[in-house]
Amino acid sequence: MAKDMTLLWGSGSAPCWRVMIMLEEKQLQGYNQKLLSFEKMEHKSQEVLDMNPRGQLPAFKCGKHILNESYAACFFLENQYKSQGTKLIPDSPDAQALMYQRLFEAVPLYQKIVEIVLYNYRVPEGERHDSAVQRNKEGLTAELKLWEGYLNKTDCCLAGKEFTLADVLFFPNVAFLFRLGLSSERYPALTKYYNGLKDRPSIKATWPPHWQTTPGPGIMNTV
Amino acid sequence: MWWAGAWNKTSLLCISVPLLTSFTNHNIFCLLSAVALHSETMAKDMTLLWASGSPPCWRVMIMLEEKQLQGYNQKLLSFEKKEHKSQEVLDMNPRGQIPTFKCGKHILNESCAACLFLENQYKSQGTKLIPDFPDAQALMYQRMFEAVTLHQKIADLVVYKYFVPEGERHDSAVQRKIEALTAELKLWEGYLKITDCCLAGQEFTLADVLFFPLIAFLFHFGLSSERYPALAKYYNSLKDRPSIKATWPPYWQKIPEMDTMKPI
Repeated sequence: MAKDMTLLWGSGSAPCWRVMIMLEEKQLQGYNQKLLSFEKMEHKSQEVLDMNPRGQLPAFKCGKHILNESYAACFFLENQYKSQGTKLIPDSPDAQALMYQRLFEAVPLYQKIVEIVLYNYRVPEGERHDSAVQRNKEGLTAELKLWEGYLNKTDCCLAGKEFTLADVLFFPNVAFLFRLGLSSERYPALTKYYNGLKDRPSIKATWPPHWQTTPGPGIMNTV
Repeated sequence: MWWAGAWNKTSLLCISVPLLTSFTNHNIFCLLSAVALHSETMAKDMTLLWASGSPPCWRVMIMLEEKQLQGYNQKLLSFEKKEHKSQEVLDMNPRGQIPTFKCGKHILNESCAACLFLENQYKSQGTKLIPDFPDAQALMYQRMFEAVTLHQKIADLVVYKYFVPEGERHDSAVQRKIEALTAELKLWEGYLKITDCCLAGQEFTLADVLFFPLIAFLFHFGLSSERYPALAKYYNSLKDRPSIKATWPPYWQKIPEMDTMKPI
């Protein structure tokens, strides 16, 4: 089963990491995988475009099914392997509702992170404004304040005591933020969440390889 | 509401079993009435704060129709009067956004979250919106989440003048956003050409619940049918679907100073 799966991924990419955590949680180790380089523009290679016309990673093939959106891959895997590995969608309606709400709120969080990180890539020099950079930073700060609030009211995980799909999708965003220098003092609840999960086997096993060898840029220092 | 599903299963059993045993007609009638009352009670525990013409709000409304949950409490709010930033909304949704949806005691303000939760809780009620067949299911999930990207590209363009102060605006930026949306729609034209009437094949699924409102929005604001024939065909074949017709926006918000989708 895992041998019929192929993942093209890039190190440090939160969406790629989500799928990798998922595959570990569902005990699907042994899948075919290829590490590609964003810097060398390998995400725009023919190999990727054949699987993903958007030229983005992850590009994931599960048997004959193509699931390039990380959320789609994770939902599909949970559905297809419900009785294997960790149960990631709780039956209890309380936990389930909270899980769905948080995992979709993680979408605007990721968007706000990416807006800052990719600002200079996406916006031509003549269109850049310090005021825009400032607004983006304020947007992310307000967003993170919300998440501090959410994490202060929950247990170790987003939807309560159990690790769920919401954590699979959200944790990489948080790890990315800390990698980029987010302040632990300003965000104690996020820090506690991060520390509480960073040694979880599925997460440790799939930690971005280059994060262990090189320091990250301090883009989020002042957020 | 785990017991909703359990009740429905029980009600089905209680309909078939009595035919084989000596249950009286009266008891069957009571059970059927109880099931009907039960569904109404459920919808009555739901509250939706919404705005007309907002695709995320529309998704939740289509979903509620598809799952036969009519009779929910609802309040129509106005973006123009900034009612989405009112205390009433903020009490349910600290983001000050709509839809704001309360399902019993559960708050589900993200439209995708509300739809997925409703499908899970009411699996055996109304239309089955997540197919079991892996081919269709995989395609449904893939398209559902690609629709998030489409939504973003529409929003980027539509709210440009709303969110970007005048001193920071550039025609070149608007042009880039138009090009990005055009490229995105080209992808969807391709997808729709290789499928049946619906995104994941022959069956209407959750992907269509989430995607259709975006398409209706685009055509309302002038997207060209000639340039996008597959999208137009999709739109025309679904616009009269009962759940969609019943929840059609009573009016469409005017987008401030925004040109229409004609250049796309």
